[in-house]
Amino acid sequence: MILLLQYMLIFASVLMLVALGGCFSEHSGVINIGLEGIMVMGALGGALMMKFLPAGVPAVAIILLVVLASILLGMLYSLLLAVAAINFKADQTLVGTAMNLLGTAAATVFVKAMNTAEDVDNVSSIIQYIGPKRAFLVNIGSFEFNWFMLLALIALVVSYVTLYKTRFGLRLMACGEHPQAADSVGINVYRMRYAGVLISGMLGGLGGIVYITAGVSEWKFENGVAGFGFLALAVMIFGQWKPSRIALAALLFGFFRALGNVYTGFDFLKAMNLPAAVYNMLPYIISLVVLAFTSKKSRAPKAEGIPYDKGQR
Amino acid sequence: MKQQKTSLLRNNAVQTLLASLLCILLGLLIGYIALLLINPAGASEAITTIIKNFMTYSKPATQLKNLGNTLVKTAPLLMCSLSVLFAYKAGLFNIGAAGQYVVGAGAGLYCALAWQLPWYLCLLASILAGAALGAVSGLLKAYCNVNEVISCIMLNWISLYAVNTLLNLVKEETSPYTLNLLNTSPGSALPSLGLGALFSGNKYVTIAIPLSVLVAVAVWVLLEKTKLGYELKATGCNKFAAQYCGMQEKKNTILTMAIAGGLAGMGAALLFLTGFEQWQCTQSSVPGMGFNGIAAAFLGGLNPLGTILSSYFIQHITNGGAYVDKTMYSAQISDFISALIIYLCGFVLFFKFTLNRWLDRRDEKRTKAAQADPQKGGMAE
Amino acid sequence: MEQTYAIEMLNITKRFPGIVANDNITLQLKKGEIHALLGENGAGKSTLMSVLFGLYQPEEGVIKKDGQAVQIRDPNDANALGIGMVHQHFKLVECFSVLDNIIMGVEPCKHGFLQKGEAREKVIALSEKYGLHVDPDALVEDITVGMQQRTEILKMLYRDNEILIFDEPTAVLTPQEIEELMQIMRNLAAEGKSILFISHKLNEIMSVADRCTVLRKGRYIGTVSIQDTNQKELSRMMVGRDVEFVVHKEPAKPGKTILEVEGMTVASKAHSNNAVKNVSFTVRAGEIVCIAGIDGNGQTELVYGLTGLEPLKGGKIMLEGQDITDASIRKRSTMGMSHIPEDRHKHGLVLDYTLEDNMVLQRYFEPEFVSKAGFLKRKAIRDYAARLIDQYDVRSGQGPITVARSMSGGNQQKAIVAREIDKDPELLIAVQPTRGLDVGAIEYIHKQIVAQRDAGKGVLLVSLELDEVMALSDRILVMYEGEIVGQLDPKTTTVEELGLYMAGAKREGA
Repeated sequence: MILLLQYMLIFASVLMLVALGGCFSEHSGVINIGLEGIMVMGALGGALMMKFLPAGVPAVAIILLVVLASILLGMLYSLLLAVAAINFKADQTLVGTAMNLLGTAAATVFVKAMNTAEDVDNVSSIIQYIGPKRAFLVNIGSFEFNWFMLLALIALVVSYVTLYKTRFGLRLMACGEHPQAADSVGINVYRMRYAGVLISGMLGGLGGIVYITAGVSEWKFENGVAGFGFLALAVMIFGQWKPSRIALAALLFGFFRALGNVYTGFDFLKAMNLPAAVYNMLPYIISLVVLAFTSKKSRAPKAEGIPYDKGQR
Repeated sequence: MKQQKTSLLRNNAVQTLLASLLCILLGLLIGYIALLLINPAGASEAITTIIKNFMTYSKPATQLKNLGNTLVKTAPLLMCSLSVLFAYKAGLFNIGAAGQYVVGAGAGLYCALAWQLPWYLCLLASILAGAALGAVSGLLKAYCNVNEVISCIMLNWISLYAVNTLLNLVKEETSPYTLNLLNTSPGSALPSLGLGALFSGNKYVTIAIPLSVLVAVAVWVLLEKTKLGYELKATGCNKFAAQYCGMQEKKNTILTMAIAGGLAGMGAALLFLTGFEQWQCTQSSVPGMGFNGIAAAFLGGLNPLGTILSSYFIQHITNGGAYVDKTMYSAQISDFISALIIYLCGFVLFFKFTLNRWLDRRDEKRTKAAQADPQKGGMAE
Repeated sequence: MEQTYAIEMLNITKRFPGIVANDNITLQLKKGEIHALLGENGAGKSTLMSVLFGLYQPEEGVIKKDGQAVQIRDPNDANALGIGMVHQHFKLVECFSVLDNIIMGVEPCKHGFLQKGEAREKVIALSEKYGLHVDPDALVEDITVGMQQRTEILKMLYRDNEILIFDEPTAVLTPQEIEELMQIMRNLAAEGKSILFISHKLNEIMSVADRCTVLRKGRYIGTVSIQDTNQKELSRMMVGRDVEFVVHKEPAKPGKTILEVEGMTVASKAHSNNAVKNVSFTVRAGEIVCIAGIDGNGQTELVYGLTGLEPLKGGKIMLEGQDITDASIRKRSTMGMSHIPEDRHKHGLVLDYTLEDNMVLQRYFEPEFVSKAGFLKRKAIRDYAARLIDQYDVRSGQGPITVARSMSGGNQQKAIVAREIDKDPELLIAVQPTRGLDVGAIEYIHKQIVAQRDAGKGVLLVSLELDEVMALSDRILVMYEGEIVGQLDPKTTTVEELGLYMAGAKREGA
């Protein structure tokens, strides 16, 4: 039971972070389908940092450096979307899709090259981080607390305050709703959209490292992040682009994802004797069902996905 | 003469071709740079290996056989890119081609291996399975307003796990792969009609290849020449106008996705029913064929006939990637390059826009010059 | 100096690829005056104002403020110079509150956190001073168009702007609201604000402005003092020739009933109330029935219900005696209903299709244009389009193969009119058929509509332009908040009376 709670919270943290990222990007008016690729890049950044940190670095430093590496790589990678979508008015769905493919491919190529350089016979795309991962964990009884859970909570509060209580949030949302209005009062739409996309890169990258450290101690980068970026988008839509609701949606989805990891621990679930594939499918099925019921009255930012052109008004 | 050149550059097809070539060149260039960064020693050799693909071999017969192998995998890719293209023309982004391909493989292989059905029924099963999955996305879009991109991704993963479970029933006992098609059910294999002999006896070369080209032509005819194509494209360009003039845009959305799904499903049959590959029942990621289809569709300038060329190109470099020196680079370098190419395709509109503006400016200058100095202008004519 | 100008725009030239939008235009605004800027659609008014507002940079010319040359690079510069603008299409974020919209861009902040308290007080004080009543905490999407306009005005006042630009502000208002706005403008001018009033409505300019500058086709025509001119002269300056404002038409000879609507109710997408409430009326052959009313009183939904774009919540529609309440859009169309839609870009055209493909949008499925096997008959489509283009004088770059997007608004509208009229309908529904067009195109479309009536068709015209309503209609139905509140005869009624109905101040049987 505690294990279920633990997994639920950690997966919910991932979904929340990434969904909040998507939320910032979309509130600025850019659809970020590329979150999946951003997560991979963030994961790669964090994993590399863990791999190359010398032993004996204090836990706090490990956490900080790993988080920093993930955020940095996530943000850098999100620039690809920002440049294409904001400056070059590219089709945001196409670019996002390309970024997802590119993220996995680039990470695989890189990790394989790195592994092969270390050992000619190692052609896998796996990075191990058994040791440094312990820095993130604190055992409270049998509950394994992960500092990332706290980080996600902080991200939630900060996101809420930023969006609704600050000048930045007001301007950001104006750009996603009615960029012409924002422009007419002197707000630089391009700059705000860059900010939105970069924040999504930051949170997406962070979500990536949280995801690959949740439950496992090595990651095979060929697998990408298994559609988690898209689950996060579903969480965002279900959460109606509002941080508080996104948190609830993330908990719900996290629960179903966690079931897949721990269902063998429940006698009645075990007794049902369902194939493991069912539990693997569950989060995706749930998100489809949920989307089917919530998409009709969607309150998506009105101008999302539409490139802003100063000339057209 | 100069007038002629201007109008040629203004031609949309020419612009598309230029843009695609530019994407390829840039993609290869960046790929080359990546190779250089990884290991400068073998980079030049690796990139030429990728571009040469089967021509790496010196014997013509071996070359031909391996060209056959590339073509065998081009057929499904072409189908997937047609699937993406068809949906895109009707305003839908079918990222679900990957999942439709997966269920197509599942249905086709199961019919072949479990029931030993003849090949045409297996092919039909694949098409129907893909179409059904596509229709689900279409239904969700039409009636529940679910963004097709998200629903497709979810369905991709659901399909993968479902098909893994299904095909687990017909797998080899000692490996995670499905039973060998040619041994288990030779009647389910696509007929070769002597095509294999043309490629140095490559037994995997079947009617799949000409069939996929025929489908590409059919898709082109459907989109450009028929009432259905007129309706679907109108719905894609402006669904409100389509609704206004009485087209049933919900029905069209579902129909579009079903056809797109059928195309992708058929693509899977065109590969797996040749026996060239066996399904790995422990696969943990969705096969890249559907995603590469996106690359091929856009690289082909969203023209069914263009995708024939672009599909071949993408498959050519993907196969070429398999030949690179594994002690230095990984085969995924090709995936990396095709992903780059998709990304660059996002800039095609901007490229055309800039090109047109540049042409406008140039023409304006010319007319001005002609007005200012009529004699000189007359000479230029 | 004998005269100080608040703002001067001297010899402004602004080019876009292919056209010169502003060609050597000069505009001088005196302190405390209301200065009208008059011109047709496409005359270059909006471009000129965008230049003043810093949205475009002119290729040539100088802008001076209080006699000093200034550079206006973006709206921030304009704002710093005290220039504010009420845009024709409001620049308001719908899901924000009125207050948020007003402070946006100049938010009072402490360390980046919003401090709304003071702002609210200032807004309330301003709205009391100028009689601009609006609730600062209401969401913009919930308030009326008039209130939204007041929000825009408050936006300028909150920024202490001295130069106020009003871009076509009266299009969305009732006659009474227009009168209020005129009064507000006079008050503002009396307080020392300088006002630029952009309009193509001569009577409004005559009533409120001190001076008037006229543009035509991107060129400067002249500046006149309102005292020394009259409507006729202004219109000649605007159009370049004498314009007849009267549409010539014979008295109507109504025949049998074409359309019969009974108790029609349509739900609203925007709010929980019904947009159309229990509406009944008829249209007979050979008459033009006009639905008048202020924008957003259910006209759009009424037409959606009639044409099948939205399902009815209740009621019945009969076309030539047949019940079409649940008929599909296609069925209605083939039964003889034509529809010139309100939004030609959203509904009327597939902009990326060629002109010929757009011409057959309502008929492509007929045997004339498609074979039994489902193949389009390209030659027949080309010939048909060529005939319509010729007959209805639709001008385009490459004839039938011109991409619709590249055509001018007037010719796009002509193409739609041609397509809908050539279908030979029994009932023509025309929604704001002349919106955004120049005088020539307006005259042409009006003639076509009258010709349809004279050919014995039923015409239902939905219009927001009172002049158009008065000139064209044989019968006027006024819509207010989703109901038909009055039926008037254009020959006996006045614009003022019409306005009272439109504003809901008067209704039949009450």
